[in-house]
Amino acid sequence: MLEQHAAKLADIDAITNGFAELGYICSKSIATAIFIAGNLEKPILVEGPAGVGKTELANTMAAFMDLPMIRLQCYEGLDEAKALYEWRYAKQLLYTQILRDKIGEVLGGAETLAASMDKLHQHSDLFFSEQFVAPRPILQAMREEGGSILLIDEIDKADHEFEAFLLEVLSEFQVSIPELGTIKAKQKPFVFLTSNNTRELSDALKRRCLHLYVPFPEAKLEQQILRARVPDLTDALMQQLVAFVQGVRELDLKKHPSVSETLDWARALMLLNASELDGDLVRQTLNIILKFEEDITVVDRQALELVRMSEKAVRR
Amino acid sequence: MDGGVPAGEIDKTIVNFIRVVRGADVRVSVAETLDAVAVVNFVGWEDRELLKQGLSLAVAKTPEEKTRFNACFDAFFAAVADNDEHEDDDDRPDAPVETDDKLAQMLLDADQSELMVAMEEAATEVGIENIKFFTQRGLYTQRIMRQMGLEGLDAAIREAQAGEGSGQGQGQGEGGDPSGQGGGEASTLEAARARLFEATRDLVEKRLSLYGSETSRDLREGRLRRSRLGNLDRRDQEEMRRLVAKIAKRLAALHSRKPKRRNRGTLDLRRTMRRNYANDGIMFDLEWKRKKIAKPKVMAICDVSGSVATVARFLLQFLYALHDILNDVRSFAFSGKLIETSDFFKRHDVDTAVDHVMNAVGYMPTDYGHSFENFREQGFLDDLDKRTTVVILGDGRTNNTEPRADILKEIHERSKRILWLNPEPPPLWGTGDSEILRYRPYCHMHREVNTLAHLERFVNELVHVVKASS
Repeated sequence: MLEQHAAKLADIDAITNGFAELGYICSKSIATAIFIAGNLEKPILVEGPAGVGKTELANTMAAFMDLPMIRLQCYEGLDEAKALYEWRYAKQLLYTQILRDKIGEVLGGAETLAASMDKLHQHSDLFFSEQFVAPRPILQAMREEGGSILLIDEIDKADHEFEAFLLEVLSEFQVSIPELGTIKAKQKPFVFLTSNNTRELSDALKRRCLHLYVPFPEAKLEQQILRARVPDLTDALMQQLVAFVQGVRELDLKKHPSVSETLDWARALMLLNASELDGDLVRQTLNIILKFEEDITVVDRQALELVRMSEKAVRR
Repeated sequence: MDGGVPAGEIDKTIVNFIRVVRGADVRVSVAETLDAVAVVNFVGWEDRELLKQGLSLAVAKTPEEKTRFNACFDAFFAAVADNDEHEDDDDRPDAPVETDDKLAQMLLDADQSELMVAMEEAATEVGIENIKFFTQRGLYTQRIMRQMGLEGLDAAIREAQAGEGSGQGQGQGEGGDPSGQGGGEASTLEAARARLFEATRDLVEKRLSLYGSETSRDLREGRLRRSRLGNLDRRDQEEMRRLVAKIAKRLAALHSRKPKRRNRGTLDLRRTMRRNYANDGIMFDLEWKRKKIAKPKVMAICDVSGSVATVARFLLQFLYALHDILNDVRSFAFSGKLIETSDFFKRHDVDTAVDHVMNAVGYMPTDYGHSFENFREQGFLDDLDKRTTVVILGDGRTNNTEPRADILKEIHERSKRILWLNPEPPPLWGTGDSEILRYRPYCHMHREVNTLAHLERFVNELVHVVKASS
């Protein structure tokens, strides 16, 4: 690890404060994970429900460390040609044509077939060489001189085969290209993998990573996040809002409101000039935090009760 | 790293801890153990909270595992905490306490902390971390007490008794114990000995629950796997559910690779160019895009009357736990009548869903004929096609009603295969009101399934054939 990186990761409080300055309020466990993973140079696998700031964590890390951020969005059908490297086919074809034109010069008037084969073998083969490799995100991250942040986003959306490609990258920080050999990272990148747990990841992948689970934040932390992200919000409304959302998360819903939805809601309430939550306001704006018709019906039925509860939370 | 502790000692503690964590059913590989050691070396032992979070990053890899890990961490480090605290006292001699006068003295002084330290040391000395079964409790208690100098203590007690008996004998302990003050010394010592015994036994029991859980769990799981599902105790149900989930997860991992097959129609230009370099870029060797094939369908029709209900419960738990592979599972339940239950499983987790199913149709007298008619009336026959595997679970006991094997024949003709699972052992097939022999000709497979081991084997084969033939 480079010295300036080590200095930034020297202790947990420095990380927490640095992240807070960038608008990312992290819990103790997140800061600890960054601290340990950064210093041990291990990839972190971040799991948790959607919208708790998993991707944002990597973004903030990039800003905090002042490193380029390389993001690889996973999807079904993603393969190594799109993630690791690809050959520049057009250039390769051109090269063979140039070679055909110049073949006379290369052979230099060799008499026999054996002699011309010898000459040809002496000629270095450029066809599969680094000039023709088009780096894709992972190889790009390996090549960054000063280190980089590599975010492999939503790994659970990729195929099982793709996980296997990643194993070498995650454990050795190197990439094998059959025609060229192994390319080692110049400076080990900080690797983040995120997963929404739509499927179970393989043990082999998990073994190579530190595992951080980010749950929905507790009320106090969520208030801090709101304060950092929506600074104009009044304290009373903020407390009420957080208490309400926390209450909604206790219900049996298809999809619980995430932190990003709480933020959206807070911004919307600001626009509406609301000073406190009431039954009507909640009903009108529920669709901001809930994305399923059934969920809206469930919460709608209990809206008043939840509002009352959140008012109590403020008074306390 | 903690400066005062040699490297070997760190490894032993962390290795013991990893064993404890494994005992709590958290999978920890060797690589992860090394990670854990790296974390310990990096953060040190002083900050417990930091250590806990650090180790949890390296060792526990799912939210459930993290919960179990936290419990283990608290239990383990609570157990060694006292030991650690006193390790810092400089004036304590390093050698384990051996002489009787020391032990007797300690007991008389009632110096609890010193006594606990001695006990911990003796426990480490006799290798308490190897304890596996609850039957070993007595053995280890004896060993620890002997290590602490029980024989000397007994001798002291005997002498004190003898001394009291003869009215003298003060200060005549084997080690020249000067603290014998006459009077009730023997009885004081005896009471202290009893207290020591209790304390040691406590310690051993705590360690047993820490270290022995792995072995006793293996034993228990082995027994559960082989015992008849119908005879399960209520208290085993919970354990069984956990076990099924575990096995299902393993099967899912085993079968999760999706097969690929060429799907002629779309040209894969990139691959084609790559392949045809050898032909001077002239593309006559074409490469087609591959497409994942549609997943096969499974329909499970379960008898949920009294005796078959438990097996049905676990079969359904298996099938729905494997939704990653068998993503098109539909389930039906019947006893007196038949209903489709797929919706229950979509909306609730398996346990709740099974309870709902049982409330809806469970525990009625079975009527196979009527249930098959229901199946036809509700139009499920039309949903069958040549990709559908039908799994029927039932004992074929019709309570002397019309079996309607003709409907089963229709199912047979429309589906790919029918697999019949029967919880009754073969000698009972066809006896009494069992009509299984009339159903049997239409089944591609008919097998006895009444233990978890049977179920596991069946589900494994099911996934295998369903995938291979799709």
